[in-house]
Amino acid sequence: MPSAASNDRIKHLFLWPAFLVVLLVTLFPLIYALVVSFQAVRLVPPTPARFVGFDNYAEIIQSARFWGSVQVTAVIVFTSVAFQFVLGFALALALHHNVPGATLYRVTFLLPMFLAPVCVALIARMLFHPVLGPVNDLFTALGFEHVPFLTNSTLAISTLIIVEVWQWTPFVILLMLAGLQGLPSEVFEAARVDNISAWRRFRDLTFPMLLPLSIAVIFIRLIEGFKLIDTVFVLTGGGPGTSTETLTLFAYNEGFKKFNIGMTSALSFLFLIVVIVFGTLYLAAAQRLTKRYR
Amino acid sequence: MKQLLLATALVPIAGFAQAQCSPDYSGVTLTVSTQNGPFIASALKTAAESWSEKTCGEVEIVEFPFSELYPKFLTAMSQQTGDFDVIGFIPAWTPDFAPYLATMPDDMQQGAAWDDIHPVYRDRLMSWQGEIKSATMDGDMHMLNYRADLFEDPANMAAFKEQYGYDLAAPVSWDQYYDIANFFNASDVVDYGTAEAYRRGGQQFWYFFSHAASYTNNPATPGAMFFDPETMDAQINNPGWLRALEEYKAGLEFGPPGSLNNGSGDVRPLYSGGSVAMNIDWADSGVLGATEGSIAGNVRTAVLPGSTEIWNSKTGEWDKFDDPVASPFLAFGGWQVAVPSDSTQQEAAWSYVAELTSPEVSSVAIVTANTGVNPYRLSHYENLDSWSDIFTPEEAQSYLGAQRASLDSPNVALDLRLPGFFSYTEVLEVELSRALAGEIEPQEALDAIAAEWDKLTDEFGRDAQLAAYRSSMGLPPLE
Repeated sequence: MPSAASNDRIKHLFLWPAFLVVLLVTLFPLIYALVVSFQAVRLVPPTPARFVGFDNYAEIIQSARFWGSVQVTAVIVFTSVAFQFVLGFALALALHHNVPGATLYRVTFLLPMFLAPVCVALIARMLFHPVLGPVNDLFTALGFEHVPFLTNSTLAISTLIIVEVWQWTPFVILLMLAGLQGLPSEVFEAARVDNISAWRRFRDLTFPMLLPLSIAVIFIRLIEGFKLIDTVFVLTGGGPGTSTETLTLFAYNEGFKKFNIGMTSALSFLFLIVVIVFGTLYLAAAQRLTKRYR
Repeated sequence: MKQLLLATALVPIAGFAQAQCSPDYSGVTLTVSTQNGPFIASALKTAAESWSEKTCGEVEIVEFPFSELYPKFLTAMSQQTGDFDVIGFIPAWTPDFAPYLATMPDDMQQGAAWDDIHPVYRDRLMSWQGEIKSATMDGDMHMLNYRADLFEDPANMAAFKEQYGYDLAAPVSWDQYYDIANFFNASDVVDYGTAEAYRRGGQQFWYFFSHAASYTNNPATPGAMFFDPETMDAQINNPGWLRALEEYKAGLEFGPPGSLNNGSGDVRPLYSGGSVAMNIDWADSGVLGATEGSIAGNVRTAVLPGSTEIWNSKTGEWDKFDDPVASPFLAFGGWQVAVPSDSTQQEAAWSYVAELTSPEVSSVAIVTANTGVNPYRLSHYENLDSWSDIFTPEEAQSYLGAQRASLDSPNVALDLRLPGFFSYTEVLEVELSRALAGEIEPQEALDAIAAEWDKLTDEFGRDAQLAAYRSSMGLPPLE
């Protein structure tokens, strides 16, 4: 009969290969990228790697273009996610209460989410086209001037927000609807018996009960939003000027146009740090909010 | 016995088949790579079929998205993987690729087919540091496209003459270009005056270069358009470039709303669809206008406008000329093919290149839809009949005449070819876009580009960059 100590050894023998695979697959690329971020290395023209310490990080932090892209990303992400959540929750509530034609709406509302962002951007580019687009046609028919949706900085950012809201609100609808359908019906029936108004039922029952889900949905959308690149690339290319250049588009340009691998790695890590710091703050705030409703 | 007879009978047939393979590359499979088709790749495929018929060799065409080509080729060649026998690429990458490319065999550098290639391509773009490293398979340059129905209309001609005091015709200076753009923009006969690309990532910088060539490509200071050919200091913030940027930006007023977001792909249909009186573009606009647009029969092409003043970077003053000096800009320069030195089948590979670029095969490619191949041989410009399926005789004469005249121009301006090309153009695009959007002043943008270009030059090695730049401009090495 094998002893407890030998059992322990066998257990480790089985665990280590899996652990090493995970280490290799998950951590190695990150560690490699971290090492490269401290080097001056270019693919084009090929330059041998040279250790430069924190120079890449310092250069990025001193770059106005980096801070501009952080600001652009933050504006697009926070504004669009706020709209996505409010609209998505409202539509989920409507669908949950079986408005007439709910099945049709359910399918229609979800469609944008299934489209590839590049296709959505192409559709949007046609819709908001200054000469051929139907949106501008409408404005012209109503007697207004052409609206420079994609060539005015403020309007271009607003257009990107609209496109993001259009595409990703269905994601919020889907999850919030699932959450609503999972709520215990007895609580709501009791509230109805007690003649509690619809608004109070929402404020005191639905919202608090769905708060953990809402926090998760917003968190997922924010993290996904930070990765925004395809829509911007197709719709505005980061322009006019650099006014719609997001962090990821900035990183793409550094990596695939300048082939500055060291700088791009540093940029990726700064991006990771921004997301981690933001995520930690968000989750801490969400925890406090959840506690208040308990 | 029957089998013996059959075998005996087959011997001459086999010998005949053998004779069909000339030169015989039976059993050879070439890997030829370029961007995703149909453009360029389809021309490579057609040539592969005729080459296979002649030589009994096989060709496998491997296509990648354009953005993948550069790193794929460079990595494969620098690591000596031997992945590719022939690569299709753009001249801007020659400085980076040249160390890994085989030199064209001597027998290909002579004869009628060699002499038939226009000297600008043959002696300047195909050559790198004195050696022929590639073969041009497509000619490219920026030209001015305009509409004959508008320019030759008596009412328009009279109104224009009355307003500006000279005849309405293809502009020979940028001042005339903007006069004409303004005239048509204000008229009811067409929607807008002209169209150019301004979108970042939409090939905008080549359009800017086309303006700048007229003010900075001074015949007295050869090769000094982009950098000082003796110090490698960036020249992009000098008064010539500033004037070019201010004019290029002013052109936004004469295009459709939202022109700031137009790339070269938007500029073409604007012309071919009849929305603008003129545009600046590669040869594509002319073909599109004659074949798929609403202006068929009225496509006219001219050499890019020039200038009577060109900045002299040596004296720091404007040199003045009696007549406008044309400085046609060879934007992009056309696709090229080359044989990597790590290819194990170089003889067969060069044989394929010879087939692809032969007068017979290339003359078909230039008039075949969607090959993306434009004229680059003298014979291409001379044989107007082969264009009859696309153009009317007047259109063909104007289209080919403008291309030939651009190349023959004594002050033709070559595109930037430098190691790290995309690093330089990325900086350029960002600041250019900011200036066009009004975020910063033109001079501020150009100063920022110059500072970044100088920084990149130092980072890549000033001496090495200087040597490469001089070579790209056809200048001898510094003593």
